[in-house]
Amino acid sequence: MPASFVEQQLHQALPKTDHDELARQHFVRSFKEYLVSSIHPGLKTAYEKRAKKAFIADHQREPENIAEVGEVMRKDPHYQAWSSLLRTSQEMMWSSTQIPVERSLGGLVESAQDLGESTGGSLRLDPSLVIPPYHTAVDIHCQPGGYHTEYVEDDVAQGAIYDRAVYLYAMGQMGADNADMGDSTVAWLKQAHPDFKPSKILDLGCAVGHSTLPYASGFPEAEVHAVDVAAPMLRYAHARAAAKGLDVHFSQQNAEVMNFADNSFDLVVSHILLHETSSKAIKNIISECHRVLKPGGWMLHVETPPYEGMSPFDTFLFDWDSENNNEPFWRKSHLLDLNELAKQGGFSEHAPIQIMVPSAFQEAQRTMTFQGGDFGGGGVWFVYGCQK
Amino acid sequence: MSEDSGVKLRRKAKGKRPFYFSDPDVDRLLSMVMALAGELSVTRDRLDTLERVAAKKGLFSAGDIESYELDQDALEARAQRHETLFREVTRVIASALEDLEEAPSEEYNEVVDLVENDDVG
Repeated sequence: MPASFVEQQLHQALPKTDHDELARQHFVRSFKEYLVSSIHPGLKTAYEKRAKKAFIADHQREPENIAEVGEVMRKDPHYQAWSSLLRTSQEMMWSSTQIPVERSLGGLVESAQDLGESTGGSLRLDPSLVIPPYHTAVDIHCQPGGYHTEYVEDDVAQGAIYDRAVYLYAMGQMGADNADMGDSTVAWLKQAHPDFKPSKILDLGCAVGHSTLPYASGFPEAEVHAVDVAAPMLRYAHARAAAKGLDVHFSQQNAEVMNFADNSFDLVVSHILLHETSSKAIKNIISECHRVLKPGGWMLHVETPPYEGMSPFDTFLFDWDSENNNEPFWRKSHLLDLNELAKQGGFSEHAPIQIMVPSAFQEAQRTMTFQGGDFGGGGVWFVYGCQK
Repeated sequence: MSEDSGVKLRRKAKGKRPFYFSDPDVDRLLSMVMALAGELSVTRDRLDTLERVAAKKGLFSAGDIESYELDQDALEARAQRHETLFREVTRVIASALEDLEEAPSEEYNEVVDLVENDDVG
């Protein structure tokens, strides 16, 4: 049982739920909490007392990598049950958030348009933008239709679903606004670099702007831009920012090739973007960060930590999303040489940083370990970055 | 809420779904059990709301429900409903036994053969 139940902060763009729709969503949240707190710990027991022994009996040594742990864990009944339940919880999460959106989509589109007119921010869409193959090959983290699918004109469905689903996925552990990644990074920047006062900020792969808005509120003097490839996310993000009274300039662009001028931003950030790209795209994105940054500006990517240094067992569980939750680049992205990546992208002026930044939200509640199905529960975020 | 946008969202995520048990039907069954648990939870939450609204409006309290004494009619009606529920839920078990108890019928394929070929010869 969590120390306190933090419900998502309601805002005008958020889909309304009737009694039973809300109860269905709360069940999914509780289901995920139960998996993390009560079923997940048994995996270690199953490994130590059963699966590992089976491996040793066959090989006369302990498993040394995730493939070898997987060889025995995939046959273990507790792992099978946990995986089956976790996959089901993910499907129920999307279903429970789709139901109210499917029912009320017309109203959601209208309300997003009304909200969009009331802001000092802006929205620029590019219907000719090609959605990259790493987003169309499978629906990332199993959201049916991915980020980009549109059902009606001026559609916001995928964004509206995503806003609520992220809250359920994080079980409230990213705060009432799902803003913990942005909040934590802003807090770290202000503490570690008190003299850094960015006047122009860019957020890459912003989705509905959960992590974008903390920069707008944290640096009220700055002009904040945000890009994403998916129009339904951006329309919703624009409405959501307006509902929260914050000005952000959203535009539909691929972070690999943007139309911003060279040397134009003081700070370029992304939050859980890199693992949803590809080997080629991630290089393009880092180069593009270097191009648009002013000399002295900072690039910061917030992610979950690399696999390096983790035990084979912990890595195997943390790797679960790669093959089980439609995150095809998860594994590779956690094995990259990030120092080399920055160098290849043109960051030769300073050494890259790879640090753990404490969560700005309810740190005391956190487990301090990263585990499958417990996104946001680590109490820390991994930040990879470099100064130009 | 009874509004309907008329839009049908895609409900299946693109990408091959993994299964975990040696028989994927166990995964499917587990998914259905969890969906049922979800709907049960929705109903229980609705009852909880009902009790809280009733208490707030001064109609009756959760305590009234706890102290409510079932009379003979209520006890019998419920026992009857429970039996019906068990009978329906365990239908598949009863059905297997009935097959065993009855004079063994022909193999299903033999019946297909019978109806397909009863005009032959």
